[in-house]
Amino acid sequence: MAETVTGVEAEPRPSRATPGGMLRALRSEFTDRDRRLAYYLVSPAVIIILLIAVFPILYAILLSFQDVIPNQPTTWAGIQNYIDLFVDPDFHKALVYTTIFTVVSVGIEVVVGMAIALALNRVFPGRGVARATTLAPWALPPAVAAIMWRLMFQDQIGIMSYLARTLHVYSGTILGSENALLVVAILVDAWKTTPFMALLLLAGMQVIPGDVYEAAKIDGATTAQQFWRVTLPLVKPALLVALLFRTLDAWRVYDLFWVMGLRQLQSVSVFVYNGVRISQLDFSLGNAAAVFVFLSSIAIAFFFFKVLGTRTTE
Amino acid sequence: MKRRDFLKLSGAGIAGAALLPACGGFSGGESGSSGQLIFSHGPEESGALESLIKQFNEENKGKIEVQWRQMPADTGTYFDQLRTQFDAGGGDIDVISGDVIWPVQFGFSGYIEDLSDRFTEDMQADFLPGPIEANVYQGKIYGVPWFTDAGMLYYRKDLLEKSGFKSPPATYDELFSMAKKVQSDSGTKFGFVYQGAKYEGGVCNGCEYIWGAGGLIQDQEDPNKIVIDSPEAATGLETERSTVEDGITPEAIITYTEPESDTAFRNGDAVFMRNWPYVYGIVLGGDAKIKTDQVGVAPLPTSGSGDIGYSTLGGWNLFINAASDLKDQAWEFVKFMASPEAAKLRALKGAYLPPLKALYEDAEIAKAAPVVPLAKQLADQIRPRPPSPFYSDMSLEMQEIFNTALKGEVSPDEAVSGLQGTLQGIIDKGTQ
Repeated sequence: MAETVTGVEAEPRPSRATPGGMLRALRSEFTDRDRRLAYYLVSPAVIIILLIAVFPILYAILLSFQDVIPNQPTTWAGIQNYIDLFVDPDFHKALVYTTIFTVVSVGIEVVVGMAIALALNRVFPGRGVARATTLAPWALPPAVAAIMWRLMFQDQIGIMSYLARTLHVYSGTILGSENALLVVAILVDAWKTTPFMALLLLAGMQVIPGDVYEAAKIDGATTAQQFWRVTLPLVKPALLVALLFRTLDAWRVYDLFWVMGLRQLQSVSVFVYNGVRISQLDFSLGNAAAVFVFLSSIAIAFFFFKVLGTRTTE
Repeated sequence: MKRRDFLKLSGAGIAGAALLPACGGFSGGESGSSGQLIFSHGPEESGALESLIKQFNEENKGKIEVQWRQMPADTGTYFDQLRTQFDAGGGDIDVISGDVIWPVQFGFSGYIEDLSDRFTEDMQADFLPGPIEANVYQGKIYGVPWFTDAGMLYYRKDLLEKSGFKSPPATYDELFSMAKKVQSDSGTKFGFVYQGAKYEGGVCNGCEYIWGAGGLIQDQEDPNKIVIDSPEAATGLETERSTVEDGITPEAIITYTEPESDTAFRNGDAVFMRNWPYVYGIVLGGDAKIKTDQVGVAPLPTSGSGDIGYSTLGGWNLFINAASDLKDQAWEFVKFMASPEAAKLRALKGAYLPPLKALYEDAEIAKAAPVVPLAKQLADQIRPRPPSPFYSDMSLEMQEIFNTALKGEVSPDEAVSGLQGTLQGIIDKGTQ
């Protein structure tokens, strides 16, 4: 009898990729008593998820093909809602602002977060305290942070407005200008979420064994080369997770724009809220936009896993 | 085997227990324990509301207890919260205090109770006609007026006198020159503040400028016809913009709602302010750096070819939730809150305009709150915003355009011609 190396099976399993293979796999799952118990235990959670998450999404998609006014009979509209959506100028504005916000804020957060993570990766006195305090902005509830910053940018009492005026950076009304508000929103979001990125990246960095760096130093690698050739590739799984979370969150931003901008700043989710909650005639538009957010988020996640994920397994 | 069975049973038990509260919640919303009414209203600084609720609870001890659930100060946010609850099946608020622009929208969707058999025409005759009309939709009355509201011009009597002005301005031209002189004489920070942010209050202000210049939003004969596209309306919006261009109003006015503007005035930082009567109540209560003898109230000025300064009809009304289980008790509370005694207390304590005709003859109220006799004087000059089941959509359009015009990003002519098309479209959808 050949000795089998631990973890490697002596015989290859029948492939599960074929339909026949899948049926066999399913049957073996349900005939086994232990596996069946596992399914029973998991079923309450699955049912709740189906009710709370899957059903509303499917219902929203169904509604998006109808012409809906709340409390009035609905008529079938086919893809008319989507056509109306994509020619709507408010939607274009929302799309542009959301895209700029996502790209710039996530970009800032990755770069600054990486820098902070690198700094916190070293051993220095007070490192524990430093790590704890960097997390402080992220711990604030988003709405509270938005109001706090809004007050800071208010014209009569805001410290930031005062600084902007005296330093001649910007003398207009910050809270009244959409472009100024977008810049402010990006900065506030970066302030708030960079700690989160930094911590995720730090966790990824801590897993890298020290001897890899020693080997690199022996080979004569400079600090920059160490970063690009050693740290960055090894931190990629954590970076992927952090990027995915942040990009999806930034794409769906609502609370920061709504609470800080008070209707002056548009994002796709703010557009959804206006259409579905405030307006009574634009419900179908808002609903179609909501389905758009859902599908585009899936697309973004798919993109991340496809393009950036496979390389980690090489 | 035993552990497995235990796991199975506990799993089933936890799942069952988790589903139970969901079943209870789907029954649509129960109001507290029997006899406990929930009343919703925004924040209230003068203390008049608190004393009224306390009085009612004492008089009805053991039978009904009223709980005040505080809602957001911004009427738009409050409206959204209510609509969320209504859309979800009614919610648990029994008596709702609502803005004057809500009865038609809520009545259209069947969210509030038709009060036609409780609030008879005899009872209605005691109230001012404007607020009553705002509560009527398709011949049925859905709310009882609680207090009415109208935009007014507040001014610093003492500062005006110091600069040699005996009476408040009648036109915006006069206001501009008075504000500039007083600002240079007394060093006041702002000449004129009002509400210019992109929200419902901005619509009220914009309408007043349009009307004060002789423009109209709806045709007087046919309310379903929008006539905002006129040179007079454009002049009105131009006047609003020139407050900023002439420098008497800060550019930040585009972010000002009621709290920002009343803070500036009650800190003594503004010479003129356009606001609702509640600010007088705050000054009465002593919660301001200025005193009542420094404050005067006057009708809003006119501009261009307008000869009457119109005020937007505001005001809050009492509705009963159509999904409430305690409608009779709710009606008792509504009757109490709308009674002459309650209205008088609110007028004396908070300067709230009573909706009852008789109280405008009351000398005590007239002395304590000059906003009340002023409102009586203005009776024919108070106009409602266009009523429509889809007013929310009209408001969204007007909010956007008025704010953009105030920023100077669109000319007044473009603003009114754009609004003409969009508003007419919404009214047409509402009358189909």
